[in-house]
Amino acid sequence: MANSRTFKNGASALAAYALAITAALFFAFPIFWMVSSSFKSEVDISAYPPIWSFTPTLANYAQLFTELNAWQALLNSALIVGLSTCIAMAAGTLAAYALARFDVKGKEFLAFEILSIRMLPPIVSVIPMFIIARQLGIFDTPWLLIAAYALSGLPFVVWVMRVFIQDIPQSIEEAAMIDGCSRFETFWRVTLPLLLPGLAATMVIVFMFAWNEFLLASMLTSQEAKTLPVIAANAIKPKAIAWGLASAAGVMMSLPVVILVLLMQRYLVRGLTLGAVKG
Amino acid sequence: MAKTGTVNAPGIRMDATKAVRAGEKSVPTLLLAPAMIIMTIVGLYPLLHSLYISLTNYNPTFGTSYSVIGFANYARAFGDGQFWYSVGLTLAFTAISVALSLTLAVLLALLFNQYRFGFVVLRTFLLIPMLITPIAVGITWRTMMMPDLGILNYLLSLIGVGALSWASSPASALASVILVDVWQWTPFMFIIIFAGLRSLPKSPFEAAAIDGAGHIATFMNVTLPMLKPVIVIATLLRIVDAFRTYDTVYIITRGGPDFATDLLSVYLQRVNFRIFDLGYGSALSWIALVIVLVVVLVFVNLTGFLKLVADKENR
Repeated sequence: MANSRTFKNGASALAAYALAITAALFFAFPIFWMVSSSFKSEVDISAYPPIWSFTPTLANYAQLFTELNAWQALLNSALIVGLSTCIAMAAGTLAAYALARFDVKGKEFLAFEILSIRMLPPIVSVIPMFIIARQLGIFDTPWLLIAAYALSGLPFVVWVMRVFIQDIPQSIEEAAMIDGCSRFETFWRVTLPLLLPGLAATMVIVFMFAWNEFLLASMLTSQEAKTLPVIAANAIKPKAIAWGLASAAGVMMSLPVVILVLLMQRYLVRGLTLGAVKG
Repeated sequence: MAKTGTVNAPGIRMDATKAVRAGEKSVPTLLLAPAMIIMTIVGLYPLLHSLYISLTNYNPTFGTSYSVIGFANYARAFGDGQFWYSVGLTLAFTAISVALSLTLAVLLALLFNQYRFGFVVLRTFLLIPMLITPIAVGITWRTMMMPDLGILNYLLSLIGVGALSWASSPASALASVILVDVWQWTPFMFIIIFAGLRSLPKSPFEAAAIDGAGHIATFMNVTLPMLKPVIVIATLLRIVDAFRTYDTVYIITRGGPDFATDLLSVYLQRVNFRIFDLGYGSALSWIALVIVLVVVLVFVNLTGFLKLVADKENR
């Protein structure tokens, strides 16, 4: 009896590990392949059968900066994503505070409007933005993408921060106000410090979506305001594809997001589900 | 969210927080103003402008003059076979991709819900694909799926399976881009469903065990019903995003070969930014928007999504 039970437990543990490792391999292998390709020389990358051990080279990364003008794209990405994330966070958190703590008329309509922007396929708004930007002379400048990303991040921030603010007991704020703090002081000294983890998690997700965005970036820029995903896509030409170069661009683009999100993992689920599911 | 802790001094709550304090009448308006201004100028105005453009024959390659042509673009859209083909393809892509990643995510969540040594580390690997820039995902999978030099066909040859044509033949291109989509976005559904699973109460499972329910019966009658709100939310978000898939398909196939992966966003990109038929493209975009809304509404009605949300608010 005891023996068969031990055997059964052992067998199910073995099966669980086999499945879990297979799943991890399936999801991790392409990433491993991208990273290893980015360190391969031109000869190694087109070797068949594919080779697993090779002398790593940084040539692809160097080429990124010499041939694809990656510095400019990196600066553009940092400026555009940084500024639009800050705008979305600031405007969104203020609005979220109003929705969470005050009786606002037409609250449901506001919430609906916010959600419908989340539903809006970017392909719908890209045409008018393209036309208006050309009329205003801001086509291919960072400002256009800053505005576009601030807009697409905004509903998300409002929705998620509203939930994070509601999580903070109102009684804490009431206590501060009874002690003579103004509404602003209460927010600044009491609510904001408690909100920091939620703010950071929301910010990371907004950053991720803007940093990875390609459709708007490719259609609303031509030369000056190109972001990293756009120059990475440029490494793919119909005839000659620079695989090592493209892989290096992929690694460089993905690294900041992977690091940031893994640091903020605890709050990720809450943010991704618009606050609906607790992580 | 439920208002808790109202036992003592509800009057003070009212005075202190519900904008009754002197000089606070305009505070909510001021707080909402920046967000409203951004949404109006950058969101609403372009959208209305697009509605107007959709009623014109605007095409910048023919100069700046254009005229209002009423609903002609919409009439043309209804006869545009290529457009409706793309719509159908996109709906099929969305349905298959979301169904596959949902199934996979639920199974993985159940698997990783066991407390075993090393599972936390393995779980982290399941998170990373959704963080990789979609362009980079497209580049990597396109390399791996090359029929002659790609690693996937090499690995298949090791286990004695013949070479597949992956994204380079019309027959298997759609399946290939669905595979990439499932690979990238199953992690998204997985972490949400996993978090939902971890936060379920223990007692219903204990009761089921006492009643002698097997694994499958427990899953169908206990786990699944309790997990439904989480699954519905994850699925809704995924449907909306799958419908607008662009980046990976643009990199891997650009809609080809032979239009086998010509998803709506790829087709619209071609109409708008290759031939710059912006009036017609705007009309198509609006039809696409209506289709997304219909899909979302059907889903919401089928799953009782609004009731789920309302239950949450009134809890």
